[in-house]
Amino acid sequence: MPPVIRPPSIRADQLSRRHALQLLAGGAASLATGCSEPDKNSVAQGDRTELPYVHMPEGLLPGVPQHYATALPLAGYGRGVIVTAFEGRPTKVEGNPRHPASLGATDVFAQAEVLSLYDPDRSQAIRAAGEISDWPAFASAFRARLQEHGVDKGGGLRVLTGRIASPTLLEQMAKLQKALPDLRWHVYEPTQGAEGEAARAVYGVALRLRPRLSDADTLIVFDADPLGPGPDQVANGRALADRRRRDRASARLYAAESALTLTGAFADRRITAHPDAIEAMIAALAAELGASIARPQLSSGAGEFLAAAARDLKARPDRALVLVGPSLSPTSRALGLWINDRLDGPVDAFAPDDRAPQAGTIAALADALRGGDVRTLVVLDSNPAATAPGDLGFADLMARASFRVHAGLYFDETAAASTWHAPTPHPLESWSDIASPDGAVSLVQPLIRPLWPSWSAHAILAPMAGEPDQSDYERLRAAWRGRWGTDGFEARWRKALVDGVVEDRAPEPVSRPRATLPNWTVPAPAPGFAVVFAPDPSVFDGRFANNAWLQECPQPFSKAVWGNAIEMAASDAGRLDIREGDEVEIVAEERRLSGPVRLANGLAPGVLRITLGYGRTRAGRIGNGLGINAAILRASASPWITRGAALRRVSGDGRLSPAVAGLYALPGEARKLAPELAPGAALPPPAPKPSFNTPTPTPPGDPYAWAMSIDTDACIGCNACVVACQSENNVPSVGPDQIRMGRDMHWLRIDVYDHGDGQAPRPVFQPVPCMHCETAPCEPVCPVEASVHDHEGLNVQVYNRCVGTRFCESNCPYKVRRFNFFGYADGQEYGDLGDPLVKAVNNPNVSVRARGVMEKCTYCVQRISAARRLAERETRLIAEGEVVTACQGACPTQAIRFGNLADPKSTVSVLRHDPRHYTLLEELHTRPRTTYLARVRNAGPGGSKA
Amino acid sequence: MSSASAFASGSARAKAPTLLGPLDDRAVTDLVCAPLLRPAGLRWWVAFLVCTVGLIATLAGIYKLFSAGVGIWGINTSVVWGYAIANYVWWIGIGNAGTLISSLLVLTRQDWRASISRFAEAMTLFAVSIAGLFPILHLGRPLYFYWLAPYPASMQVWPQWRSALVWDFWAITSYLIFSIIFWYVGVLPDFATVRDRSSGAWRKVYGLLALGWRGSARHWRHYRRLQITLAALATPLVCSVHSIVGLDFAASLMPGWREPIFPPYFVVGAMYSGFAVVVMLSIVISRGLGLQQLITARHFEAMAKVMLMSSVVMGLSYASEWFAAWYGGNRADRALLVYEFTGAYWKLYIAMLTCNIVAPQLLWFPVMRASVPVLVGVSIGILVGMWLERILIIWNTLSYSFLPSMDRIFFPTVWDWLFLFGPMFVFAWMFLLFCRVAPVVPMHDVRELLHREGAR
Amino acid sequence: MREAKEPAFVAEFRSPSDLIAAIRHALDQGFRPLDALSPYPVEGLDEALRLPKSTIRWPMLILAVCVAALAYALQYWTAVYAYPIHSGGRPLNSWPIFPLVPFEVGILAAGVAGFAALLTLCGLPRVNHPLFDWDAIERATDDRYFLLVGAPEEASESRRLRTVLEGARAIRVRELSL
Repeated sequence: MPPVIRPPSIRADQLSRRHALQLLAGGAASLATGCSEPDKNSVAQGDRTELPYVHMPEGLLPGVPQHYATALPLAGYGRGVIVTAFEGRPTKVEGNPRHPASLGATDVFAQAEVLSLYDPDRSQAIRAAGEISDWPAFASAFRARLQEHGVDKGGGLRVLTGRIASPTLLEQMAKLQKALPDLRWHVYEPTQGAEGEAARAVYGVALRLRPRLSDADTLIVFDADPLGPGPDQVANGRALADRRRRDRASARLYAAESALTLTGAFADRRITAHPDAIEAMIAALAAELGASIARPQLSSGAGEFLAAAARDLKARPDRALVLVGPSLSPTSRALGLWINDRLDGPVDAFAPDDRAPQAGTIAALADALRGGDVRTLVVLDSNPAATAPGDLGFADLMARASFRVHAGLYFDETAAASTWHAPTPHPLESWSDIASPDGAVSLVQPLIRPLWPSWSAHAILAPMAGEPDQSDYERLRAAWRGRWGTDGFEARWRKALVDGVVEDRAPEPVSRPRATLPNWTVPAPAPGFAVVFAPDPSVFDGRFANNAWLQECPQPFSKAVWGNAIEMAASDAGRLDIREGDEVEIVAEERRLSGPVRLANGLAPGVLRITLGYGRTRAGRIGNGLGINAAILRASASPWITRGAALRRVSGDGRLSPAVAGLYALPGEARKLAPELAPGAALPPPAPKPSFNTPTPTPPGDPYAWAMSIDTDACIGCNACVVACQSENNVPSVGPDQIRMGRDMHWLRIDVYDHGDGQAPRPVFQPVPCMHCETAPCEPVCPVEASVHDHEGLNVQVYNRCVGTRFCESNCPYKVRRFNFFGYADGQEYGDLGDPLVKAVNNPNVSVRARGVMEKCTYCVQRISAARRLAERETRLIAEGEVVTACQGACPTQAIRFGNLADPKSTVSVLRHDPRHYTLLEELHTRPRTTYLARVRNAGPGGSKA
Repeated sequence: MSSASAFASGSARAKAPTLLGPLDDRAVTDLVCAPLLRPAGLRWWVAFLVCTVGLIATLAGIYKLFSAGVGIWGINTSVVWGYAIANYVWWIGIGNAGTLISSLLVLTRQDWRASISRFAEAMTLFAVSIAGLFPILHLGRPLYFYWLAPYPASMQVWPQWRSALVWDFWAITSYLIFSIIFWYVGVLPDFATVRDRSSGAWRKVYGLLALGWRGSARHWRHYRRLQITLAALATPLVCSVHSIVGLDFAASLMPGWREPIFPPYFVVGAMYSGFAVVVMLSIVISRGLGLQQLITARHFEAMAKVMLMSSVVMGLSYASEWFAAWYGGNRADRALLVYEFTGAYWKLYIAMLTCNIVAPQLLWFPVMRASVPVLVGVSIGILVGMWLERILIIWNTLSYSFLPSMDRIFFPTVWDWLFLFGPMFVFAWMFLLFCRVAPVVPMHDVRELLHREGAR
Repeated sequence: MREAKEPAFVAEFRSPSDLIAAIRHALDQGFRPLDALSPYPVEGLDEALRLPKSTIRWPMLILAVCVAALAYALQYWTAVYAYPIHSGGRPLNSWPIFPLVPFEVGILAAGVAGFAALLTLCGLPRVNHPLFDWDAIERATDDRYFLLVGAPEEASESRRLRTVLEGARAIRVRELSL
């Protein structure tokens, strides 16, 4: 359950004077913290058509947050969320347990959306050739243009969008194509895998195939990253974690990959291999399963790996799955589908939505532009000028169309290349609907009035199709009335808004036709480097480039922030005499990209890896000029890998982005920092320590002793908890220069240790919040009693008492305290984060820390006290699961558990007796309240070395 | 001669005269008072102006610090302490020598300390006042430094008495005030002497400073007793002060800090660097004020031997640290030991050992002890080495502790350097003023010594 | 110092030995030396003048003990009663480390008490002492040694005292009323 704090149901007979005063005070306080004018962001006035998630309060109670269900898009797909708003000011995103793509958790991007909402760099006005204009001017110009096209039935008129999973928008698109038959619609999604055609190759028809990871005993991924950033990440993570919890010994994940991914880190057995080798492995596996293809030569390591994998596959074929990543050849992907079909593993097939109009590719659009038969180009919520594959040269081609309209959240590279630009509303400001990857549809409802005049994709498409001019709200209701009929519509509408998901929209699986073995040929190994691309875990495909929270969110392994780099294997670097930080240039065909080198573990020799989304020039004040734009090297034919690239060293001083930490090997005794176990194995119990001082954990009789338990076997290192903590606790961003000075403010960090070696890493993620030690070293050294222990065992920091001696941090063995060297949130902010508008993102229940003050994880004490207030009002104790910390709520795999240690039946109490339970730095006898469960590596026979 | 004096003044054969005759009461008075009565020379003015510039620069730095925040320094999330704390320990260490000289040496009957005790104590006052600034400057919110003091606050909170910083607060305060009293009691009769030799407005000033001292036997009787008692009290005070500074680190659980040897070894280190400064001040004063008759080879000989002894003790302390880290067998401690010699700061660590342990061994040779350049060189080396020792105690432990993900290196900024060198000018500035207004040598002590030696 | 307004003879000597000798001589002759002025504390002067041992240590000891006790009491009261907090699992009354502050402030108190006691016992500050009326006294802080002898009532005795002092190698003898 997400932390839904039900507002009190105030009835006149209950409302005591004291209570009324409390509410008044709370209201006054939170109104003081709210900053921009009420008319801008108060749903208390204006159209009150949004519906709160739970009990609608009688009017808006100041200080009492409201929770609304909506959905946030990522790569066009929706993830259900529940957003907390104070006085109509959205401040926090939580997962929606009823939504299949969320299951109560979120990914890192959803957590950061509230900051994007208040981004002062968002486009705030219609622009004509860059100059500020207005809607009437645009409307008339656009209408005139459309009338010309009305004559030629839309010939020469092209629409480019990202992936559209909004039923209503798809209907509009269909209407549009009916109205203008010659109009062409193109879709470009920079992070789109190659789902469709592989299925067509195997089944003859375009099926949407979705594996059920939670039902797979053996899962083999070939350069696929189901746990990587993307709209499926949360659901996949939850599925794999649930599968492990059910029976660890029978769950085994194999990963053969050219670059270390989150999936590879999560794997039980992983091998680093060049894409060519991986293709060979797939073929070998197919042959092993009876495919009539020549079994290619494999290296010894790959041979062992594949043998073990095949053994497990054959053991339970119906519970085995193979995933083949988009960077591999279409035939290999087809082979993967064939293997799954042969195994008859847990894969669901869905018929493609035939109601949806068919869209062309961006390559086709580029050809049309080159051919000069595009006169008008409309780009909706897409930024091809920055993200289109480099071989298209799209930014230049756009000029071939004389009338170019761009509608987007930012005045970005594409907007700059357009004749007209219109700002679109942020998802938290707009009415719409959107489907999740597995087809579950949610209604998108605004949490706040648009901060600036803006026009949604609906509003842009409507006039093109000659639809009546109406508000998005009316249009959406009309569309759903069309689907549901009028009788009982209001009830269903209300229920859909409250639940955050429309039940009857999840499609039914269809039976798969007979699969045919695709003809497979040994791919000719290309000379030079193979450059593989991946969505960036921080800025995805660049759409989050101007989000400081995400920019400062460390990459999973390199822990780099504020930019990407050309990742390279140490062996290659040594061979070419290249050092980390050198500036190198990659040349593939005529496409050139130069950038700094970062040495990466688990990267196959001959492979370079670059994440997407950087090198932005018009992202905004936060995101401009960071990193390098990998899209330049991409080819539209094979967007995920570019073979035969040449690399040369340019200079010794590349602008390498800073890193807050790294991936650390654990020699010898240090392994107990993050132990690794075989399934069923147990850790040795800690030796009892002699001590003259035996402190009492909590004063006897106190009903609460808060504690946290973190399962490192479930952690996928997705960083959602890190940004969730930042959002919940008003943790400021410090900017790249401060990071370079070794300063950061994250209350929760994710350490990553390597039990393997640099070439074949076996990483273990270890989220490290404050340990809340019972004998905290930070407390007795504080001269002013700013670092104290409360009666429930929380190690709390009294900000307004702190004088900033920093003795607590220097004496903290876990180094979890963070110091405001400058007024990071208090007058010396980085970039434009000092903008009054950004302050609206702050959680009014958490004080913003001043300069010179130490701060740290509080176990979300504000949530504890909210739950306590509620419990005391109902004269009962806080129940298990009633307090959910921000990190716990965000965690897709439920690796983080929080609860009351004084209750022997609570989850944390039970987990304390788990054989995998361990305490970080136990030998220091600090008696932490935050403890861990060891990582399990189910490597299987002979798997220990791989 | 007591055994203690034997250590300080070597064998009777090697003993040089403490005072160079011909000297009598009047000569002592003339020598000491002359600088106060004659106008300052050009060299003084030049030095004073240079130091004034340094003083202004330091004040500017403090203004910048208070307006921008401690972020202007190189400190980071792991190495939260930096130059400020190292400077603090360094200055307080220097501040220890003065009182040690005029307390420990009084108790051990070291007659040679008479000539140098006065300016050594002045050095203590200035060094301690500078040292006392750093804990305040280094605070994140310096305007609230007084929260360390117990007073009935409206918040009804009190200091946290278990914190070594609170002990520091009291130790520094007590030590500073006590040293002022000690110093003033010592200089009181000499102010009377200057009063009776000066004229005009200065005569009135010194008259007030002297409180009407007449040299009455009935006063001397209390005076002598008070001085001995204060000396007896100052010795444990000095030791406790630097022991507490040592506890700032020792009372923690970080590898490299959690060492019981820290308090004594900090005290010796303090005496060590303090004597290095006294040696250099002695040279400046005896040359600058023409007091070669009062500050003689004997003094340098004795101080050189003290430094030599200290260097040996320091060497033993380091060795015991290394041994404890290895013998304790704790992973973190052993790793830190390796890091000290191989980690990011290993060059500095070697330099520190060279300055503190190797270089002073020159002083085994009498010819070296007699050579002023060698003494100056060794002293400067010791001061550098002792500062390096303090900064490395902070850097090594904080840069390389339990969890590798938080290992961070310290990179000093220009402001760090300003706060390292600026206070040195402030110190020199105060000392230059002191030379102009107060007798730099305790005349009554020297006269006493003179008469006693004459009596022998 | 007892400040009876009475006439006294002040004799100036060149050396501490002359001074001591003169005191002995004057005592033998039945006069009563009151005080002596010297530029440094002359050994044996107290004994010659039959001055009792200084009692200055008592106030120092008493104040030191009181202040130290007060300091510990303050720590105890604030840590145990006024503001008891759970600090790293330490006992509220952390007696092993609480003595540190009392030690420091105790010594400080002794120093302050000693200085205060010095001033009270010596009747200082007093910048306008009748002795200063005689310019020659200035050298009492330089290189001359002075003896103060209470002047007898009879003029004959006074004359005898003067001769005694001059006989004791006094450079100058002068009668002042103190």
